[in-house]
Amino acid sequence: MRRACLFSVAAVVTLASSATFAQDMKVADILIDGQGWQLIAEGFKFTEGPAVDAEGQVYFTDIPNNRIHKIALDDKVTVFAENTAATNGLMFGPDGLLYGCRNGEKKIVTYDAQAQVQTIADDVNSNDLVIAGDGGIYFTDPPGGRVWYINPKREKRVVAEGIKPNGVILWPDQGTLVVTESNEPILWTFRVERDGSLSQKDRYYSPLQVPPGGGGPGSDGMKVDSVGRLYVATRAGLQFFDPTGRLGGTILKPQPGPLANVCFGGKNLDTLYVTAGDKVFKRKTQATGVRYAKRPAAQ
Amino acid sequence: MTQHGGSSRVSILSGCVGLVLAVVSICLPQSASAADDYQLGPDSQVQEGVPQGTVTKKMWKSEKVYPGTERDYWIYVPKQYDGSQPANVMVFQDGGSYVNPTQQFRTTIVFDNLIHKKEMPVTIGIFINPGTIPAAGPDQKSRSNRSFEYDSLGDQYARFLLEEILPEVGKEYKLTNEAKGRAIGGISSGGICAWTVAWERPDAFSKVLSHVGSFTNIRGGHACHALIRKTERKPIRVFLQDGSGDLDNVHGSWPLANQEMAAALKFAKYDYRFEFGDGGHNGKHGGAILPESLRWLWRAE
Repeated sequence: MRRACLFSVAAVVTLASSATFAQDMKVADILIDGQGWQLIAEGFKFTEGPAVDAEGQVYFTDIPNNRIHKIALDDKVTVFAENTAATNGLMFGPDGLLYGCRNGEKKIVTYDAQAQVQTIADDVNSNDLVIAGDGGIYFTDPPGGRVWYINPKREKRVVAEGIKPNGVILWPDQGTLVVTESNEPILWTFRVERDGSLSQKDRYYSPLQVPPGGGGPGSDGMKVDSVGRLYVATRAGLQFFDPTGRLGGTILKPQPGPLANVCFGGKNLDTLYVTAGDKVFKRKTQATGVRYAKRPAAQ
Repeated sequence: MTQHGGSSRVSILSGCVGLVLAVVSICLPQSASAADDYQLGPDSQVQEGVPQGTVTKKMWKSEKVYPGTERDYWIYVPKQYDGSQPANVMVFQDGGSYVNPTQQFRTTIVFDNLIHKKEMPVTIGIFINPGTIPAAGPDQKSRSNRSFEYDSLGDQYARFLLEEILPEVGKEYKLTNEAKGRAIGGISSGGICAWTVAWERPDAFSKVLSHVGSFTNIRGGHACHALIRKTERKPIRVFLQDGSGDLDNVHGSWPLANQEMAAALKFAKYDYRFEFGDGGHNGKHGGAILPESLRWLWRAE
């Protein structure tokens, strides 16, 4: 019996070591057997910016057609806004408003429930954005090679330069910001300082899977889930990483062609929605998305 | 099996012992596998009359190679070091575990015993933890830089050692600048890190000790064995340890990856030794054979 006790201790030590050294997050932890991608809607020109509201409904933009659409919980798709001036990245803020990169007018705007537009910032290029729990906004400016921050007082400033950013997302605790650069096989990470500044730029997520034949990964929009996995839409598919920056795997694309962006939606926030060229798809998962908790206002 | 001064062998003896214990354990209630039942030998115990070195804990904030990271590290200085000659150096990743005198490796005790018996040279040990980027506020999480530093291929970690840590330790102690007097070791991702440092900078590190090394696809490390085969041999001496019970997960199979490494090292005629036991993803086997590993790595020829 003493021998057995020794072995039990050894087993515990082994497990603890494994957890410390090489815990893995595999694709089977996310997907549900038999639940593939389900087509929600088609016939668009280029879909982008999936964003979930407080009820779990998902909004997305059809950039060239200048429309924002809404997917109800019963999958019914309706037009939410017209003449959207090539609005690209979308995300709901803690105030319940839909924030958007209205790049045709060089503006960051909000859309209220009636799709009335209010300008938050102007004279800026923008592609994608993320809204923190305190209302602060980070958005990417690919032509300028910059990431901007708009603090809760609506004052904007550049917080990162020298990269060609595309997608942007915060970790669930909002302490780390992640930025995609489409042609780089890495994702940039930054520490988020109390005043919204970014520091400690690093190639933390690396390497991304890159399809053979030349070109970069084509990394674009991102989201995180409740255990800290990060999902990024790429040419190879929907790649996901564990919180230590290690690639866990790639979820296949629903169809050949572009995969621009992703979000969690549905009543329980457990369904992945992807914008893929002319279509939008969804897929139920074992994972759960994240809503950013309110934080103390920045100093 | 000896090639270019190196040798390779599978640890048949430990395998047999493990098998016997496995059979015994089947008869016992609630027993786990009897494999991986490695024991520390006398060289891993404090011996009377053997001078003991000193261990000093330090903290390092990187400003150059991993800016913003903070980490603890420990410097072991053997009693025999008197500063008259440059000491050899051995760096360990996950230093807190390797330096701990009650855990699986007890490296400083082994150093004391082996240096005393002149079975390894006077060597200063530098035991370094992986970096952390501390959170900016109490409601945010710090970011562990361990996988980024250890699993990434490339020369960044080597530069961290050569441009930050070794110069810092060198301010206080006289360290050798010669690759033949510099070794590096680690466990799991720290193991592949050790290999990567020597692979990138064989002019700076010539000896590698890998315990259950992660030569798997965590961040592309499965390419190591392929690169070894297709690259002109580098002057690196390598001691690899792994076990049949090691991990098999989304990143790869550790037992197969280590066997691939051993096969590639053999193919490319490296001075290597591979100890493949029946252990899991831990330091028990590596700890038990640490004295023999160090004797082999530091041997004169």
